[in-house]
Amino acid sequence: MSTETTFENEVFIEDEDYSYLKKDRDKLIKIILFFIASIATIFVFLIIIFLFVIGGPFFTEVSLTEFLLGTNWLPSHGDFGALPIIVDTLLVTFGAIIIALPLGLMTAIFLAELAPPKLRKVLKFTIEILAGIPSIVFGFFGLVVLNIIIRDLFGLHHGNTWLSGSLILAIMALPTIVSVCEDSIRAVPDYYREASYAMGATKWQTIRKVVIPAGMSGITAALVLGIGRALGETMAMMLVIGNCKVFPEPLTNMFSCVAVITSTIGLGLGPTETGSIEWRSYFALGITLFIMTLMVNTIANVILNRIQRKFTGEKVKEKHVNLKESKIYSQVLKYRILLIALIISVFIAIILPDMISKVVGAIICIGLGLTFQMYTIVPKNQKKWILYGVILLFAGWVLSTWIGIFLTVIVIALIIGTRLIFKRISTVGQEKFWFIIVYLCSSFAVIAVGTLLYYIIANGIPVLIRIPGMEDSYRPNFLTASSMEGGILPAITGTIQLTLGSIAFALPLGMCAGIYLSEYARDNKVTKIIRSGIDNLNGTPSIVFALFGVVLFLVVFGLQKSLIAGMLTLGLMILPTIIRTTEEAVKAIPPSFREGSLALGSSKWQGISKIVLPAALPGIVTGAVLGMGRSAGETAPIMFTAVRTTSRYIITLSIFQPVMALTYHLYRLLTEALFSVEEAAGTALTLLLLVLILYGVAFVIRSRYEKRKQW
Amino acid sequence: MVFKSKNKNKLEIEHKNNLNDSNMYQDDTVIECRNLNLWYEESQALMDINMKFKRNEVTAIIGPSGCGKSTLLRCLNRMNDVIEGCRIEGEVLFQGENLYSKNADIRLNRKKIGMIFQKPNPFPMSVYDNITYGPKIHKIIDDKILTEITEKNLRRAVLWDEVRDRLDESAMGLSGGQQQRLCIARALAVEPEILLMDEPTASLDPIATQKIEELILELKKQWTMIIVTHNMQQAARISDYTGFMYLGKLIEFGNTEQIFENPNNQLTENYITGRFG
Ligand SMILES: Nc1ncnc2c1ncn2[C@@H]1O[C@H](COP(=O)(O)OP(=O)(O)OP(=O)(O)O)[C@@H](O)[C@H]1O
Ligand SMILES: [Mg+2]
Repeated sequence: MSTETTFENEVFIEDEDYSYLKKDRDKLIKIILFFIASIATIFVFLIIIFLFVIGGPFFTEVSLTEFLLGTNWLPSHGDFGALPIIVDTLLVTFGAIIIALPLGLMTAIFLAELAPPKLRKVLKFTIEILAGIPSIVFGFFGLVVLNIIIRDLFGLHHGNTWLSGSLILAIMALPTIVSVCEDSIRAVPDYYREASYAMGATKWQTIRKVVIPAGMSGITAALVLGIGRALGETMAMMLVIGNCKVFPEPLTNMFSCVAVITSTIGLGLGPTETGSIEWRSYFALGITLFIMTLMVNTIANVILNRIQRKFTGEKVKEKHVNLKESKIYSQVLKYRILLIALIISVFIAIILPDMISKVVGAIICIGLGLTFQMYTIVPKNQKKWILYGVILLFAGWVLSTWIGIFLTVIVIALIIGTRLIFKRISTVGQEKFWFIIVYLCSSFAVIAVGTLLYYIIANGIPVLIRIPGMEDSYRPNFLTASSMEGGILPAITGTIQLTLGSIAFALPLGMCAGIYLSEYARDNKVTKIIRSGIDNLNGTPSIVFALFGVVLFLVVFGLQKSLIAGMLTLGLMILPTIIRTTEEAVKAIPPSFREGSLALGSSKWQGISKIVLPAALPGIVTGAVLGMGRSAGETAPIMFTAVRTTSRYIITLSIFQPVMALTYHLYRLLTEALFSVEEAAGTALTLLLLVLILYGVAFVIRSRYEKRKQW
Repeated sequence: MVFKSKNKNKLEIEHKNNLNDSNMYQDDTVIECRNLNLWYEESQALMDINMKFKRNEVTAIIGPSGCGKSTLLRCLNRMNDVIEGCRIEGEVLFQGENLYSKNADIRLNRKKIGMIFQKPNPFPMSVYDNITYGPKIHKIIDDKILTEITEKNLRRAVLWDEVRDRLDESAMGLSGGQQQRLCIARALAVEPEILLMDEPTASLDPIATQKIEELILELKKQWTMIIVTHNMQQAARISDYTGFMYLGKLIEFGNTEQIFENPNNQLTENYITGRFG
């Protein structure tokens, strides 16, 4: 009982019973949070464990060398040589990055430094939303448009090629790369630019020599995200690259039919018998993919740390001080990347089948090594290493196809040409030249993504809406009928059910875990391991989650393909993201808020629940809505766990029944021999609208919140 | 190609020296504001500023916060061009030519008029890369020359002995005072004629401040300097001329001694004696 007396200051709380303070709810809450956080963490680690438990026994029957070095993949015949698939995966990813990184970086430069503020705002918003385009939609575009263009342009028998795979992945990664690069460029403080201008530098000189190096950590992060996205993409690859489990012949032939790890799993796992060695072989591929993404993340962290040190000026700790005195050792240490590249290139030369591939593969490998030396050899003018490396890389192509010659000529001409010309023209002239390149690249990026959207919209709208002159395509009940009557309503309801279910599962778990991690967890080894586990799962390909879902729900729990299995699989997939965004949103609240609350005698939890969480809520909601968008757009995780192909009912009410989903429905349509582009476009457009609206909502919430933010 | 750029640079330096010599006898003014007015969007930040800065002298600009000191300083090497919505009227004459005339070479002028900022802002690169950034921008690519430039300018900024062994290390690892001296060395590396400094010691501790002040007195022998400062003792210690600004206007401008001991204007006196606001 307390009465507030507003007029007299002496008595604030009349009743001096403070026993309510002793009821230690804080501890209880901490325990509950810890418990939930542990569950979330256990799920996260279960994925890794299951992958190895299921995939591991595979290696008792097939040796690791046979798997990694064998060149024949035919599980039904007992051939489990995954090398061609692994090599193809690397090649396709590499091709995608070579295309996407320069385009993305240039577009980011345009947005951050050159575009008028209004245009920038609009473009930036669009790009962030576009990052949500479901991969199956890219697959659709790749299959129906890009592959045909490539086939006709280069006079091929079929358009299912490495080139189209790389191109699609590049377009797919562009929004992410652009927006991350742009953020990092914008984050470069203006006083760097001012210092540069004050010495008489041009805008371009400032961008190239100050802004980009200063934004390097963000650009590297964008590169890693791009690689991760490309490595883990499943659906588009299943549709676009043809899935031939062979080396390109020769190795640089971008017109050859290839297969990547994800697509091999996606296409192969379904028909196999659970528990058989064939079935397990796909888990072995899953492990391989997981390790590859892990390696990319680890290398990226090393590089990011190195860059970070440049900013803080911290010195690199010199280990092996005694050993370092030996000159040879220090040289080896200095050139280790190049050495590793050399060793790998010898290995490549031994493994690969034909002569050209041997030589070319080795050269490309050394080129890569040289290029990456730039991260270890920092001193003054060692930048030329990069140049040599890149020239070598492209020289690799000369030896094979004419498109290689074409590319090489362009690159060498560009390098030599610009060097020669630049010596003759003024700095301002150079600036103009580079700005033109920037404009060209950004318009190309915009055109590429724009064409895709245009294609889907132009073909999809007449299906959904009656448009004069195009009545033929119009399907009155497309959105409102069951699939028996030619509609996609069951797929829409199914997707919505899956999405809501996944967020209902992931949000409470993820929020509790995020709050626990940021507010309660001590900074010890365990926390560190949990964090890095979560981070790594954040970038784990969705097909790996699909494998996990199959094991946990279908095998362990003995469920059928069902709504609940799909919801949970999707939920697990977005769980790491939810944990991370919650943690970040909560961490972004300044400590003074908590202190202010504690100073008034509140408990820790009161401070968190009454002050911190409300302030962090918009950030958490943004993360949740983005997670929903991701759930709605994913195909791979539900492909084996939740979906059916047709449905008589417009909504499935039992969570133990399989459902239809827009993404999978689109995939099914595309794999039918004679599919109607209109129906597919209508489905794709519906899916696109659903996902993009979610993304749009998320970013509107975020930008509102940022505007309102006072601290 | 390498040779050409080297020669060009030599030529430039010679040319500059000639200019210096010839100007010396005619007029001491290196840079001059004439009826300078400046607006940010609609609000006027500088009103009718007329000011002459003399060769090899240190001029201090003092005044309360927000009176337009930084704005004025930034007008002198056109750093306000970067700011959107900034409009300028009037003239700034540098060696007799208007910086704001249509055919003035902004970048060349900025090279000749160096600037040091309030917060030390070395680039997140090595010490060496920081110093050589400017020369590289202006087409000096020979490694040997760049190394010489590095040493020369680090010595000028009295930093050489402290960083000679860490040229390849990140400049961000230096202390605040070292960073500021590095920024001065970086500015000197493009051989400017004037140094503009905007509260160069505002973010430094007393000892680092003292070092910078000593450096300024040393640099005075060769360079014309214009310094914005909040610290009146500092202005009194290091400057030959002092200008007092208030609400965008230049209230009083003259000999430092006279300004501090015997100001003509009541506002100036109030400000200097601390009876202000
Ligand atoms: N980029 C800008 N846009 C709009 N107004 C500005 C901008 N920069 C400065 N101003 C305004 O112009 C006036 C003068 O600012 P200036 O920075 O020149 O003052 P100052 O004398 O250097 O102050 P301080 O001692 O605090 O550095 C102030 O009223 C300020 O608000
Ligand atoms: Mg100022």
